[in-house]
Amino acid sequence: MNVKNAEASPRPRRVGYRQIPHTADLAWRLWGENLPELFENAGRALSATLTDIRSLRRRKTRQVSLESSDREALLVDWLNHLLYLFDIDGFLGREFNVVSLTGERLKAWVKGEIFDASRHPMKTAVKAATFHNLEIVAGKDGWQATVVLDL
Amino acid sequence: MVKLRQIDAYRWEIPREGKMRTRGLVFCSQEMLPSIQEDQSLQQVANVATLPGIVGASLAMPDIHWGYGFAIGGVAAFDPADGIVSPGGVGYDINCGVRLLRTRLAREQVECCIEDLVNTLFNHIPSGVGSRRKDFKLTASTLKKVLKDGARWAVKDGFGEAGDLAHIEAGGRIEGADPDLVSEFALNRGKDQLGTLGSGNHFVEVGYVDEIFDAPLAAQLGLFEGQVTAIVHTGSRGLGHQVCEDYIKVMLKASAKYGIELPDRQLCCAPLASPEGKNYLAAMAGAANFAFANRQMITHWVRESFEQVFQMGPRDLGLDLVYDVAHNIAKLETHTVEGARRKLCIHRKGATRAFPPHHPEVPEAYRETGQPVLIPGDMGRYSFVLVGTEKALTETFGRTCHGAGRRLSRHMAKKAAKGRSIVKELAERGIIVRGAGRATIDEEISEAYKDVAGVVEVVPGAGIAQKVARLKPLGVIKG
Repeated sequence: MNVKNAEASPRPRRVGYRQIPHTADLAWRLWGENLPELFENAGRALSATLTDIRSLRRRKTRQVSLESSDREALLVDWLNHLLYLFDIDGFLGREFNVVSLTGERLKAWVKGEIFDASRHPMKTAVKAATFHNLEIVAGKDGWQATVVLDL
Repeated sequence: MVKLRQIDAYRWEIPREGKMRTRGLVFCSQEMLPSIQEDQSLQQVANVATLPGIVGASLAMPDIHWGYGFAIGGVAAFDPADGIVSPGGVGYDINCGVRLLRTRLAREQVECCIEDLVNTLFNHIPSGVGSRRKDFKLTASTLKKVLKDGARWAVKDGFGEAGDLAHIEAGGRIEGADPDLVSEFALNRGKDQLGTLGSGNHFVEVGYVDEIFDAPLAAQLGLFEGQVTAIVHTGSRGLGHQVCEDYIKVMLKASAKYGIELPDRQLCCAPLASPEGKNYLAAMAGAANFAFANRQMITHWVRESFEQVFQMGPRDLGLDLVYDVAHNIAKLETHTVEGARRKLCIHRKGATRAFPPHHPEVPEAYRETGQPVLIPGDMGRYSFVLVGTEKALTETFGRTCHGAGRRLSRHMAKKAAKGRSIVKELAERGIIVRGAGRATIDEEISEAYKDVAGVVEVVPGAGIAQKVARLKPLGVIKG
């Protein structure tokens, strides 16, 4: 498969994330008017990969506080922490709110609920977000990131 | 595009260039090249060749495809004194691997009850996105024992038989595991995931031997035509993923600290002789042991499911372990390099160990045959059983391919499956499939994978394993 062929919708902005081709795993292009919005979209993209995000209710809240070496590493850590929350008790986020974000620190809260296979369709399992081809760049009207997930 | 030079029918060299410390060596056929060249996997082979202390070539097995950091199908050896260890050379699913069980049953004996068997397996083995065990949660101290003792812990706790251990790579327990070097986060993720299949390409498959390529070898492996078999494919679940994540963070810092230049951050690493390198190997061994225990427990439930459905005792069923081998791991081994015996740390990221006859790490039962190698294909076609060879030991540090490799991305696979009932299509071909979610089954359709037969053809051609038998699926549970 050619990496230049986009597989998904050419008008992704409203959604804030879109899959880009990667044969074995899954890669996302993420957008945001600002970095916190980009991180929030990353969280939504992850929930939408695992299940139908619209089926999730805002029943529980999780606080997240992370520290990393730089903002790319922070994006990977953020996604991996959300996977950790899912692994330990099944929590999946519907609404993501990044309260503060610097180059090295992130504070956020996430509203969502515990995954229940009888109500939430199982979609694609994700093992981890990786550093491969990872980048966050500023564009004309906001920020764009690429992240590859191990499935 | 990465330069390639043909050496012979099955070997291609990536000449040493720029920052590469050694050449790349790719095992594949002419026909496979175009698809390999479409993505970034050859660049990834070249990237690995730039890492310090690499011994021999940066190797790629015939099922090479684009991964992250190392290519999938990548194998690389490093010197313990000046070489490195990289979590990216093992991957997130530490000791993801496969085991093969044989039975005394013939295909005709099970045809009546495959649907029942698949349902029973599905009920006994938690699978799917976020699968966890509700019947037991491990305490912190038990979990640490699992990390130290692997499949040995499982057998001691009543999951399986002592005889199983001899037929698992490293006896189902990697030496040197230190649970104290595994984070609380990782332990939390693992505590109710032991004995679960997970999702993605993981599966339990009941099949039968449909073709024998080498009768004497097959007989020594206890395989006969028409015989019912079972394959378990899974790894270390969230615990392993977390160990990898934790140590990638450590290694990003260590790479800077030790002045290691990285062509891709996912290749971050530390010297094998450094505290960071040693700690990673000890934590990785813990995760690998968790995976051995995981497959051992699932095996126990496979046996229980057969006993329940066929109302037969263990002796009559004869569900013996043929072999269990890791696909993703880094291990210290002794090899002969240019006539000298050397200890090396060998990374395999999607490759199978394939040791020859008489190698000391090959179990007694296979001293004359070589170590059994299991190469699963997709759920609709077939899998292969091979044995390791002397040539594999000299050419690839005793490694060979591990699977078919994807042809379509998951997105394209889902598109191809749209409007079709994959479960029904497979049932019409005599294969009963149960999955926790429709999405996984659609993503895992046959046409999403390369034909594993093509990959397996290269292996005897290049001499890095010998074909024994082909297995066809009858029933599959997918996560």
